[in-house]
Amino acid sequence: MKNDKNAHIPPDTDGTPIREHVFDGIAEYDKRLPNWWLLTFYGAIVFAIVYWMADQHFPHGNDQTRVAGELQRIEAAKLESADANLDDATLWKMSRNPVFVDAGREVYNTNCAACHLVSLRGKSEMATAIGPDLTDNEWLYGTGKPLDLLATVNHGTAKGMPAWGPVLGAKKVSQSVAYVLNHHKEPAE
Amino acid sequence: MSAKSIRPNRDSVTTIRDDGSRLFLHPADAHGRFTALRRWSGWVLIAIYLALPWIPVGGHPAVFLDIAHRRFHLFGLTLAFQDAWLLFFGITGLGFSLFFITALLGRVWCGWACPQTVFLEHVYRRIERWLEGDAVARRRLDAAPWDTTKVIRRGFKQVVFFGVSAVIAHLFLAYYVSIPELWTMMHSAPGEHWSAFVFVFVFTAILYFNFAWFREQLCLIICPYGRLQSVLIDDHSMVIGYDEKRGEPRGKAGTPDAGACVDCNRCVQVCPTGIDIRQGLQIECIGCAACIDACDTVMDKLGRDRGLVRYDSQTGLGGGKTRWLRPRTLVYAVLMLVGATVATWAATTVRPAALAVTRMVGAPYYLADDGVRNQFMVRLVNKTDAPARFVVTVEAGGQPLTQTGFNQVVELAPLAEQVQPLILQVARADYAGPFTFRVHVTDEAGTYALDREAEFTGPHRSLLGIKSEASQ
Repeated sequence: MKNDKNAHIPPDTDGTPIREHVFDGIAEYDKRLPNWWLLTFYGAIVFAIVYWMADQHFPHGNDQTRVAGELQRIEAAKLESADANLDDATLWKMSRNPVFVDAGREVYNTNCAACHLVSLRGKSEMATAIGPDLTDNEWLYGTGKPLDLLATVNHGTAKGMPAWGPVLGAKKVSQSVAYVLNHHKEPAE
Repeated sequence: MSAKSIRPNRDSVTTIRDDGSRLFLHPADAHGRFTALRRWSGWVLIAIYLALPWIPVGGHPAVFLDIAHRRFHLFGLTLAFQDAWLLFFGITGLGFSLFFITALLGRVWCGWACPQTVFLEHVYRRIERWLEGDAVARRRLDAAPWDTTKVIRRGFKQVVFFGVSAVIAHLFLAYYVSIPELWTMMHSAPGEHWSAFVFVFVFTAILYFNFAWFREQLCLIICPYGRLQSVLIDDHSMVIGYDEKRGEPRGKAGTPDAGACVDCNRCVQVCPTGIDIRQGLQIECIGCAACIDACDTVMDKLGRDRGLVRYDSQTGLGGGKTRWLRPRTLVYAVLMLVGATVATWAATTVRPAALAVTRMVGAPYYLADDGVRNQFMVRLVNKTDAPARFVVTVEAGGQPLTQTGFNQVVELAPLAEQVQPLILQVARADYAGPFTFRVHVTDEAGTYALDREAEFTGPHRSLLGIKSEASQ
């Protein structure tokens, strides 16, 4: 015991029980945990029960119904903005609405003008331009009906026009189509 | 419950009674050089904590973690969310610094610089001392019945504690919303900024609970750094310890053959975590040095040398010589230097803009009548809060090509980002196969530059129907 630096410390004499396990000669007292610590422990148990009850047994909807509800909400939002509601007449109407046309001009100048030029005239204006003229009445894909244009912008073409639908989203695509249509006359019925 | 009843032992935590209830400590006042120095350094630290959101550096507060705009202003350096990877180097650098300091100097952080200690010792305990008197008076008040005087005195203290907690919580919020915004929020109704209001309220409650009641329990039972330090120090690290060879056996002054310790128990009375430093190094010790001052005062009175309790290493206390240079400190120092170097280097790579080049969806290349075409989307982000104008150029190492898109300066609003097509075309006659090129972005003034490398893909030259007689 000569080398024991703490030989002067009196051993614990309050009769605290010692746990049974011993690791490498190290034993463990069986002391009571702090009350505040026990409170957090029991509090967590109570919380778990309350949460379990509220979530599983008296639910405002369980996970499945909540997920289903959320999916419906997303679906509705998609339908609202998607081209499902668009028809030729609506797109023509958009193309005469200055709010749509202004928004469309911005989208067009950022994304489309690189190939079709700011003037929309593409190869007709400059032979080295990549995209064709969008102001004439010759269409490489479809017949120039607004919905054909929309499909071309959304899905792209084999000659290099990328599919802009997933990049821009339905709203910006319809705005850009409205801007292009703004350069055309609506055919008389 | 007198001071005499506190008899710490190494087998249990003093502040937890056998029945699990809390023994609320009333540490006695210590006077001396470390107490004075600690009070000074504490006030300096508090002044720094409070000043950081006020001092403008480069047009922003010195520290402004602008969550709303996802911009982090640190001493003139502005970081955007895109720079979050720097956090890795910042945190590892800080971690290694703490390792190094701990191995060398033990728990100086805990005793001198940790906000828990600084606010507890220099704000809350000072208020308590001022309102309720010294340790003896506070213990007497504890034991007194709950009469009107006690209710008023204790109640007033709690109100003051809550008020101080509210002030600290508000100043903490200022780190995230800046002082002017905080001032505006404080002037308007809580309903206009619920999240900030709830944050401050919850944070105030946590601070109040912690500093009014929880106190040393945080250091003893919750703080991971306190536990971690046990494996960071060794026998040569500086700690606060008791010189057992000089002190033992204890005895009243004048007892023959007695050591220097007169067993006055002052070191136990002043301890904020309720340990007896004479029982050796313990995990509860936060290195506050109160016991050094307490013991020195007694030694001065007895005309004995100071330093029975002192800053020293375990080896030094045992009569050996402390080695400062040892593998542990050297390794930690190297790690710290590596961390600091990498963090500094990483910070210098931060640019006020971000650039990304991705290939457009669709085919990797297109064969047009007049050439081979690759289509890219270029994303530009202006990370500053001023409008910026960017010049985008393509460098292809002499390869002739036609660039479409980005033919003019791109103007971006503060914090704005833009994605734009970049179409590159190589005429059939010039095409010699795939090659790499660089997209190069500078601001109009040319103060910084960003580069991204990309691949121009295409078929083998021979597949274009060009006779190979031109090939080298």
